[in-house]
Amino acid sequence: MNKVININFQGRILPIEELAYDLLKQYIDSLRTYFVNEEGCDEIINDIECRIAELCDERLKKGTPCITQDDMNLIITSIGRPADFEAQDGFEKSTASSANSANDGRQQNGNQNTNNNTNSNFYRNGNIPKRLYRDEQNKVLGGVCSGIANYFVIEPWIVRILWLFLIGLNILVYIILWIAVPSSSVKEVGGVRKRLFRDIDNKIIGGVCAGLSKYFGLRVGIIRVLFLIPFIRFIINFRHIHLFQFWDFPDFPNFLDITFSPGAVFIYIVLWLVLPEAKSSADKLEMVGEKVDLNSIKNTIQNDMEGFSKRAQNWGSQFSKKSRTESGEQKAEDRNEGRDEQSNGAHENSSNMTYRENKGCLHFIGMAITISIKVFVYFVLAIVGISLFAALFGIGAAVTAVYPLKKFVLEDGAQSWAAFGTIVLFIWVPIVGIVTAIIRKIAGFKKTNVWIRSSFWALWIVGWVMLFYFGSSVGNSFTKHNKPVEQAIALTNPGINYLEVTATPKMKYYEDNWFKISEFVDYGDEDTIFVRNLRIRIVQSTTDSFQVKVVKLSNGKTVAEANSLANKINFDLTQQDSIIYLDKGIGINAKDKFRNQHAIMTIAVPIGKRIKISNKGWSQTNININHRGMRTETIDRISSDDDWYNEWDNESFSYDRGVTYLMTSTGLEKIGRADIEDKEDDKVEMSDIENQLNELKLERERLEGDLKKSREQKIKELEKIDRALEKKSADKKENKGLTNNTSLLPDLNKVNKVASKLADMQSVFDRFHY
Amino acid sequence: MDIQNTQSQMRKGVLEFCILSIIQQGEVYPSDIVEKMKQANLHILEGTLYPLLTRLKNAGLLNYRWVESVTGPPRKYFVMTEEGKAAFATLLNTWNEMAGSVQALIQKNDTITSSEPNQVS
Repeated sequence: MNKVININFQGRILPIEELAYDLLKQYIDSLRTYFVNEEGCDEIINDIECRIAELCDERLKKGTPCITQDDMNLIITSIGRPADFEAQDGFEKSTASSANSANDGRQQNGNQNTNNNTNSNFYRNGNIPKRLYRDEQNKVLGGVCSGIANYFVIEPWIVRILWLFLIGLNILVYIILWIAVPSSSVKEVGGVRKRLFRDIDNKIIGGVCAGLSKYFGLRVGIIRVLFLIPFIRFIINFRHIHLFQFWDFPDFPNFLDITFSPGAVFIYIVLWLVLPEAKSSADKLEMVGEKVDLNSIKNTIQNDMEGFSKRAQNWGSQFSKKSRTESGEQKAEDRNEGRDEQSNGAHENSSNMTYRENKGCLHFIGMAITISIKVFVYFVLAIVGISLFAALFGIGAAVTAVYPLKKFVLEDGAQSWAAFGTIVLFIWVPIVGIVTAIIRKIAGFKKTNVWIRSSFWALWIVGWVMLFYFGSSVGNSFTKHNKPVEQAIALTNPGINYLEVTATPKMKYYEDNWFKISEFVDYGDEDTIFVRNLRIRIVQSTTDSFQVKVVKLSNGKTVAEANSLANKINFDLTQQDSIIYLDKGIGINAKDKFRNQHAIMTIAVPIGKRIKISNKGWSQTNININHRGMRTETIDRISSDDDWYNEWDNESFSYDRGVTYLMTSTGLEKIGRADIEDKEDDKVEMSDIENQLNELKLERERLEGDLKKSREQKIKELEKIDRALEKKSADKKENKGLTNNTSLLPDLNKVNKVASKLADMQSVFDRFHY
Repeated sequence: MDIQNTQSQMRKGVLEFCILSIIQQGEVYPSDIVEKMKQANLHILEGTLYPLLTRLKNAGLLNYRWVESVTGPPRKYFVMTEEGKAAFATLLNTWNEMAGSVQALIQKNDTITSSEPNQVS
């Protein structure tokens, strides 16, 4: 279905399809640009228009109701397009155009100069000064190098080699020049213009690669590979994205590095969004740049810019004035001067040229601004989108990974189901939905399946409901907390000068991680997780002895529940000389659930005494320190139960583990490593380790002795057997051999057992040594 | 050597002469020129012809006349001026000379290269 319009064309009324009319207009425009420098340009165009009108009339007389697009194409083909003139033309441009006779630039320039003077009638483009063009005829990739070579009248290979030497930075520059510098074929035909479209006929994803290949006249495969290599790298390096720390982008892929990064993917997406599809046949022709050689956009913009031309001229003259004064001021700088002189020369030489250049300049600036704004907006949107998606995905992955631990937190029944539903419906459904949508878009399904889409939405809404139920029910079981009771831990010798707090060396917990399932003997046969919910506060003591107090805290649905949970907290604290051994965390079993059980240990350090918190196996424990030591009567002063739940972050400062601190009247002070007593501490520590070492050594010796004894025994037995064997007759040898073996087997087992025990001891030993 | 380029150069050289020779026979409409050229197995696009005619007209070799047509607006017919006739005579002379000499050369070449037939293009 096409709209038909009536036009008055060269004295004839023609009914013509709108698309055909567009085609005609484009064709006439292309002719006009082609013949623009020709003497009698208007006359030629007029004659051709007359002829077209005549041909149209003939067609109408044959009975066609209107001029269709096909008719117009036929007519245009019969008359010929500027590109066809190229091949056939009799007189023009055989020597004047640089690209046609694909020789070196020197000859061309020479020809141009001589021809300009003699035959300006026949050789158009004669007055155009030297400009940088990309050489389409001698191109390897985009013709930039050979264009530059032409411009400076040197051999292209020199430029290429120089270019290769400076590769890296130049890839971008090359691409920019490729796009910005007009092709020599453009100059030749006088405004043939290709436009970059997405080629949806040959697309795989969005047709960007196909469109680019059409635009640059390269094979599609090359461009696809150029896009794919960085993308594959991106996939391989995907783990660099810290899913859980996406907000501070430590290793977030560098989108700006275009060559080897997801930048290519990004460029693809941006191009996908920005480029129009080649929908109509005119678009397709324009995309290839073969048949539609016109420059409709450029022309319209040029027309629009007519009004700007005066302003542009003013601007240009202002610029030249400015540059003149500048050049006067900065005579020392040769480069600037040269440039200014050039620009002055250009302005003075031909006002026509400045006209055009300024127009082009403004046009280019306008385009650049709009494009850059567009790109920026899409860039930001895409980053936000990608981050959100990554976050969603990260949450999904994290929650799914943690899901097996639900029995430690959630009650069976509705709450568990709600958790499951939330994970599946609220998190994974949208992820799957987005991925499917992207794949569908990539695959080019145009019909969006209503059923699939609405079911996705419905599931997601159910997911929201689940989320709310889950959140409220879980939140509910955390609402109340127990009444904190502070237990004073009696120290055997509170008057000591030095106290060290360290993790228990008992193999009670196997791992140092946060949520780690581990079975251990102390809790029977039940699975238990172990939560590092321990905080240590260090305050100033009012007396001259150390005081240690522990508060066990828990949340729960009711206060009673919270109290019972708090009582159940099994948190061991043992003292050995000046060292306090603590459990590394609080065990939580599936029956009692995790209700934010935590313990706060307060250590009151008297003034003038030292404390050290060892750094082994503690990494996740919170240590809060009363910086100024002002909270001296800690325990008594805390009247409200809630105070235990407040964070004291505002009073805490960074505490270095493994460093000895001295309590002074103003607070804790770090004691340097050079301190003598510090060394003594090290010695204490060392002697402790040495004791353990010695014990282990003794154990080892004992075991080795056992082994030796048993070995000797066995050797004796073997000797006995051997002796017996000698006595026996030959026919009973086999039986003897059998008994021999059987008697040896249990001994071997014993030896193995002892050996494995030894190995165990060795590993334990190593551990301590570490 | 670029054969195509040479070919087009050759054609370009005689194109003007061909058109002049057609117009020299009498008043003619451009599309008729295309038709006549086609009959002589020489192809030219109207898009190329019009600028050529305009150029020749501007050079004073041709003139045109508006002829009323039955079907539509008047059409532009081209005729040769005296100047054009003189130019055509010169060109004709040149052509005859050149054709003769080229022909002679080719024939001589033929006798020489008859043993090597692949030399003939």
